[in-house]
Formats: sequence, C-alpha cells, structure tokens
Amino acid sequence: MPFYAIIKKEIYRFSSIWVQTLIGPLTTALLYQLIFGHQFSSISTGIDGINYATFLIPGLIIMQVLLNAFGNGSSSLIQSKYSGNIIFILMAPVSQFSMYMAYLIASIIRGILVGAAVLIGIVWFGNLPFSHIWAIIYFAILGSAITGGLGLIGGIVCEKFDQLAGFQSFVMVPLIYLSGIFFNIQHFSDFWKSLAMLDPFLYIVDGFRYGFVGANNFAIEYGAIFVFVFAIIVNFVGYSLLRRGVKIKN
Amino acid sequence: MFALEINNVNKIYGNKFKALDNVNFRLAQGDFIGLLGVNGAGKTSLISSISGVNSFNGEIKVMGHDVLRDLVNAKKQLGVVPQELAFDPFLTVMQTLKFQSGLYGVSDNQAWIDELLERMHLTDKAHANTRSLSGGMKRRLMVAQALVHKPAVIILDEPTVGVDVEIRKNIWEFISKLHKEGHTILLTTHYLEEVEQLCNKIIMIDKGKVIAESSKQELIEKANGLPSSIEIETMDDKFTSELDGLVLSKSDNKYTLKLENNKSMMQILNTLTASGVVIENININRPKLEDIFLDYLGR
Repeated sequence: MPFYAIIKKEIYRFSSIWVQTLIGPLTTALLYQLIFGHQFSSISTGIDGINYATFLIPGLIIMQVLLNAFGNGSSSLIQSKYSGNIIFILMAPVSQFSMYMAYLIASIIRGILVGAAVLIGIVWFGNLPFSHIWAIIYFAILGSAITGGLGLIGGIVCEKFDQLAGFQSFVMVPLIYLSGIFFNIQHFSDFWKSLAMLDPFLYIVDGFRYGFVGANNFAIEYGAIFVFVFAIIVNFVGYSLLRRGVKIKN
Repeated sequence: MFALEINNVNKIYGNKFKALDNVNFRLAQGDFIGLLGVNGAGKTSLISSISGVNSFNGEIKVMGHDVLRDLVNAKKQLGVVPQELAFDPFLTVMQTLKFQSGLYGVSDNQAWIDELLERMHLTDKAHANTRSLSGGMKRRLMVAQALVHKPAVIILDEPTVGVDVEIRKNIWEFISKLHKEGHTILLTTHYLEEVEQLCNKIIMIDKGKVIAESSKQELIEKANGLPSSIEIETMDDKFTSELDGLVLSKSDNKYTLKLENNKSMMQILNTLTASGVVIENININRPKLEDIFLDYLGR
C-alpha cells in the first residue's frame, strides 16, 4: 500500500504539470521532426525502404522516453530533499526497496506515457511498419528503467538543482545525442563511431528502432541482454545509495 | 511492554560530532514526557534516531519493535512531527493527508481526517494547495500528518513554533485528549509552561547526555528546594536598612528580596511594618521549571 501511495502521488505530480511534462517534450519532438526531417530528407538511412523522416521517428520517441524517465526520478527526489518533505517518506513504514522501486516505476510510467504521446504526435510524418512490437515495449521499459535509475542516482547524490542540471547537460544529453537518435552510426566517422560504441544508450536506441523498422546495427539478442544487465547495474547502484542514505539521511 | 525503550544509544555524525552520548530511558505506555534541552542538546538527533531517519549505535524499541531489526513495524507505531517546516508543494491539504495515510497503509479514515482538519483549524483549507498556507497552518498540517494513522506513540518536536496562542491552546487540548485516550507522547518544546502543564515526566538532555529524568512531582519538590523571591512595592520608595542583606535587586519602588521559606516571609513583612514602611503590592516568585533546568545545567 505505501508502495502504491508513492507511485500514485508521483503520477499525480507529473500529470499536474502536464504542460511541462507532456506538451514540452511533444513540442520538442515535433520541432526536431519538422526541421531535421525536412532538412535531411535526402540522407540515406542505411535501411532499405526507410526514409529519413521515418528513421527519425523512433529516435525522437526514445529520446523523450529516456529524458523524461530521468527527469522524473531526479526532479522528484531533489525537490523533496529541497522542500524537506522527503522526511515524511523516510519516517513512514516503507522499506527502502519499496521506496526505490516506487520511484523507479513512476519514472518508467512517465517515460512510457510521454513516449506514447510523442508517438501519436509524430507518427504521421513517416511510414513505420511496427515490425517487432515486443522490442518497442522491451527497450522502452528497460531504457526508461536505466535513465530512471540514473535520475534517482542524480536525485540522491545531488544537493542542488544546478548540480543536477550539470549531470543532465554533461552526462545525459551527450550520451543521448551520441546514441544514433538522429543518424545511423554506420555513417559516423571512425572516431565518432568508436566513441558511440561505448555509449550504452546506443543499444537502447538501436533495439527500439528495430522494433519499429525491423532493421538494426547490432544483434538484437546481445542488445537486449546488454540493456537488461545495464538496467540491473544502474538500479543496484541507485538502490545501494538510497539504502545507505547517501545525502538523504543523517 | 514499554512504549519506548532507549538503551545505550550513541550517535556520532561524519564530522565526529557526538550528538548522543549513551542515552538511556524508558517510556511507559500512556506517559506524557517532556524532553527538554537547549538548542543542539541532541533532542532532534534522538528523535531522528527513534524514527529511523538517523543511523545510531545502541538499541531503540518502539512498542517492542526494534528500530534496527524491525524498522517497518516500529515506524507503524510512531507519529512524528518534525521540527523543520516541510510540505509537498504539489498537493493540497486533503491530498497531503490522504497520501500520508497511504504511506501508513490506511485507506478508510476520511472521518478521522475530517476531525483532524477541524481540530487543526484547517477545514476551510482542505482543498487549498500547501504552498498557499501560512507557516502556522503548515505546522498544524504537519501535526495532522503525524496523527493520520492514530499512532500509539506520538513524538512532537517543537510542534507549536510559529502557531498563535489560541490555536496553540487548541492543539494542546487535542494532544491532551489523545493522551487521555492512551497514546504515549514525547514532546520537545521551548514553552516550559506547556511542559509543566501537560507532562507527567520530564527528561533533560544536554550535550547528548540525559542529565535528569524524573516525574513532574519530583521536579516540583526539587523546585521547593530552590530559593524563591518576593517582590515588594513600597509607598514613597521607603524601605528599611535592616533587610538590606536580603535585597536581590531594586527597581524604582520595587524591591526583590531572597525568600527562604514562609517563615522568613512573615519576618520580612513584620520588619517592614514595624519600620513604618507602607506596602503597596506583594508578589511571590516561585522557582519555575526553567530555573530547575538551569540549575541542572549549572548555569
């Protein structure tokens, strides 16, 4: 019951500021789709039968899924720390595992809901075959679990909003932009391709796009396993930090 | 079973500051305890340890549940009003209380929430966002939050700071009612008259150590052992040099004299009368809890 109470409150929190949490990402995705989709329409995507506008759609959706899952956990925790109301959850009969999982699931829900809204908003710009629905769902959930976990780590560790903004600007955004959202990494130069291969988000984007267009750069099985393992590692670190009460307790 | 057991509790923060130094005490069920101490004495560290927010060494049991080994069940028995103002800016007053209920696994308590709102004078603010509340209202909401699951043990860390006199009185009436219904209450406050009025037992803490633990009656008896004083206003500022040795202070025509007992009071009055001094007003100052507290602290 306390577990559901936290999830319910988190859903209420982000839905009560829907202009910021829903319309904002949708507008950003629409702008990217309109400008990039038009400007680079002649670029080869490296996938037969898939033009650039269609190629771009899954990238923009998963970008907003990842960013919003990150934003939920991080902003919720740091706001609760800043306003002091986290004390009510810390004093409540909620195990730290339940507390962590409730925040994580709320982050995943926000990521998926925003992703669904962006999908509805921009799906009309291309011709997506929706080849593997399981991959769309799997990589969306696991991807938002990874960035949701990173958001919780940021929310736990950071003490100020500008520290969190720095984490987002210098870690999240470069990782997302390097993950092949806008272009196929096969078209990158060797240096950037080598760098992109180290980006864990690359495998999320690749698997998610595979779900929509049926083609990808890496074996889907390896991508699925890597993303699963990475999600476990990130969230184990996040849970361990919460359990130790780093920058939250004492 | 004790409502609260504190056994050999120590708390050292990362900067090596020892906030709690081998604290021991027990609260019987139904006790109303005043926990007194100056700022930084360790009161809030102790409360944070009891509520599982602080790590600590030692043993704390709430209604028999060990805070280190059975934290969830220990927390279910506790309702804590923290000292710092805290609120969720996304929620209304009603949503805050329903969310708090959810955190404690309580769902069918609308009647109790309505009563809490009424008692805390927040009924007309039930659907107002917490951001719009004044400091006093936020404090009252925090009291309501702590009581939403009807905890067996209620801990109030300076719950009436910033609350106006009338509503403070109302809150204390409500807390007294909860006490009469069997709840155990641990209170920290700077309003010592409230402790004198409400508590049946008092614990004094200084520099992380319990320096005194006794019933209110014992403290009152101790108070009787401390010197009192008598203030005497005389007409035309007349006085007698026979009593100069007892004068503690003088202001205009008001003399404050050391008073050992009732017998000495009669002697003072008789001496003044015999000297032709006309007394306009008399006021006897009995030692207060504050004096006893300062006496314990050696200040």
